[in-house]
Amino acid sequence: MMPDVSQQGKMETEEWRPAENAPVIMFDRVSKTYGRINALNSVSLGISGGVTGILGMNGAGKSTLFKLMMGKVRPSSGAIRLFGVDPWKNPAPYSRVGFVPEHEKMHDWMTAFDFIVTFARLHGMTRDEAAKEASRVLDFVSLSDVMHKRIGQFSKGMRQRVKIAHALVNDPELIILDEPLQGCDPLARTTIMNVIKELGAMGRTVLVSSHILHEIERITEQIVILHKGRVLALGNSHAIREMLDQHPHKIALECENPRELAKSIIKIEEVTGMSFAEENKLLIETKHLGEVHKKLPKTIIESGIKVTSIDNPDDDLQSILMYLTGGSA
Amino acid sequence: MSKTDTIWSQLDRKSTAIAEFTMRQYRTRISTWVVMIASVVALLLVLLFYIEAMNTEIEAIDNDGDSFDTDGDGYPNGQERLEGTNPDSPESFPDWVEPDPPEKWINEDDFDWDILVEGVNYVGSDDDGDCKNLDTSSQRDTNDNNVECDIIVDVDTLNSTVTITADSSVDEDPDEDKYGKEAGHRAFILGIGKFGIVYLLGIFLPLFLATGLIREEISEGTIHYMLAKPIARGEVLLYRMLGYIGITWPFILIVCLVLCLITGFTGPGDGIFRWEDVPVWMSIAWAAMLVSLVYGTIFCGFGIIWKNGVILAILFAAWELGMAFIAILTGGDSSIRYMSVIGWGMIIVDAGAAIGWPDNWQLVEVGLWGGGHGEENWLGDVSYVALPGAEPLAVFSGNPNLGVSNWLAYVISTLVLAFQGFMAWFIGQSIFKGKEVN
Repeated sequence: MMPDVSQQGKMETEEWRPAENAPVIMFDRVSKTYGRINALNSVSLGISGGVTGILGMNGAGKSTLFKLMMGKVRPSSGAIRLFGVDPWKNPAPYSRVGFVPEHEKMHDWMTAFDFIVTFARLHGMTRDEAAKEASRVLDFVSLSDVMHKRIGQFSKGMRQRVKIAHALVNDPELIILDEPLQGCDPLARTTIMNVIKELGAMGRTVLVSSHILHEIERITEQIVILHKGRVLALGNSHAIREMLDQHPHKIALECENPRELAKSIIKIEEVTGMSFAEENKLLIETKHLGEVHKKLPKTIIESGIKVTSIDNPDDDLQSILMYLTGGSA
Repeated sequence: MSKTDTIWSQLDRKSTAIAEFTMRQYRTRISTWVVMIASVVALLLVLLFYIEAMNTEIEAIDNDGDSFDTDGDGYPNGQERLEGTNPDSPESFPDWVEPDPPEKWINEDDFDWDILVEGVNYVGSDDDGDCKNLDTSSQRDTNDNNVECDIIVDVDTLNSTVTITADSSVDEDPDEDKYGKEAGHRAFILGIGKFGIVYLLGIFLPLFLATGLIREEISEGTIHYMLAKPIARGEVLLYRMLGYIGITWPFILIVCLVLCLITGFTGPGDGIFRWEDVPVWMSIAWAAMLVSLVYGTIFCGFGIIWKNGVILAILFAAWELGMAFIAILTGGDSSIRYMSVIGWGMIIVDAGAAIGWPDNWQLVEVGLWGGGHGEENWLGDVSYVALPGAEPLAVFSGNPNLGVSNWLAYVISTLVLAFQGFMAWFIGQSIFKGKEVN
């Protein structure tokens, strides 16, 4: 708590620098148990650069993995290094990290701008710097026009974008996003995906978790599949995609007028069948999930019908896991 | 650059960010307003009783009974004694003067004592002449100090005893209204200051405002934003507390200032405003500020330890309530109060009262003596009839009793409270550091 009278310059203390050649993230046989539950089991990972998708079902250990990286919980065994530093003991590396938590709760009483400025100042920025950076990141996630509105008034997708913007304010080298697409409307999904891809293109290390394969596929090819606390697979998504395409898949749409929408969607040639499960719900069957997901947004927009959610009920991830674990999933 | 910028820029950027954030967060919470408005309403209600009391005349009592006319000759006993006639004989009366109205012989011999010092003091004067008119020299000097019509006061601070031995009929009929107003006024300030402000405000503000300072952020999940920044958890705790005092300290100061102004203008006294009360109110405010800071840090730590930390806080508050009673009622004679937070807060108030009102303990002793009227028990001890206001003032007054000067007692108890606050922060941040946040 050194007095900072001048309020000039970027940081009030000497900027923290990582050890040379240290990988951005390094997990060495890390296990984490909560009581008798094994959340992570001897996970070893090294990630530097690019966008990596962390794929896993609920409870697979994605959030635990991120909490360990962010020093929120202590590993039961093994070592974690963030830029070469143990994050449980030292918060210094966070000056180079942006974290988007999964929690929905935000400080609803603040405006998006205030929220970002406040947390930017925790990186040691002055008021002026923080305000400048906040405007920049809000522009980056296309929220400039509503930045002085209270977060409480925002939709789920806008809130996610505020969270992402807040994580980018320190121009981080590592960005961790925990389920950033969960519950977002199609437009917000597209915006968020583009933002993530752009960050990857800017040479940042990005970690995105999801439980939906096609979401991750649209962002990156580099994926890590977690299952029951273990790293099940690591690598390119194309290979996985190929073995999946032989299975039929379902997509569930929630919308105002499913019968009207069905008329437009049947024109997509990969769609093999449709059914009306409940009120306001449309189920699409296909063997080419990726193709349908590529064409779906355009078709929906052209039909002019408001779609509130897109979901994959018979999760494609489930199918991969079945395949990889030989049916034990 | 705005004014807040220039003030805050003296401090670290992260600390101001969190402190400002915390203060703004308080403003959006209903609990903040509820606890503040409820405290103000409660204090105002008590204040109404005070104003009512200050505007009611205290009935004058003829403590020595000399306004009566025992023999029915039209002259009050006091006047007959002064003129040398027999108050018990209807034939004997001073026909050379007009009879006095009986009121003249009520409250006719008030206290006129100098400030007492350690050791033996000779004070008092026989305003109504009923001592000087006694027949023999031995009657006029019943306390055997070879001075007629005076009072010996033996002050023994080592044993905290004051022994008053008066010649008969000296300062024996004090003015109840004058004494009662002054004593009642001081008793009110000390009572509401010690119990209402230092204890109740000191415990309720942190109970509502500090217990959730970290806990609510953890249970709502919003702590993740703060903990994902290059800032140590101990700093987060410290700066949150800074935001807490940014709200509570001005509130306490304003409450004390308003009460000081209201009681200062309505209270008894010769001047327009009772300036001598200001140091007392200042010490009440300072004690409440320190006490609420220590409690706040402890309660915030309870919130970190356990999600139902408020239960621990209430148990702690109960302990402190007991300590508050002990500290107030023993007037500083109990040493178990050192084992509490509130005990040290009370020392600050007592030291402040001793500085602002150097004659306070004397006022208590004089009021309890009340002119020297009372019943003698079989051991020969006299239990005096106290003047109105003397007993409440005796209850709420205390002695710092640290064996040092009042100023030093003030400084020592401030340092003790600051140390308690530091330890609470240190333990709190150690627990916070080792806590897994899910």
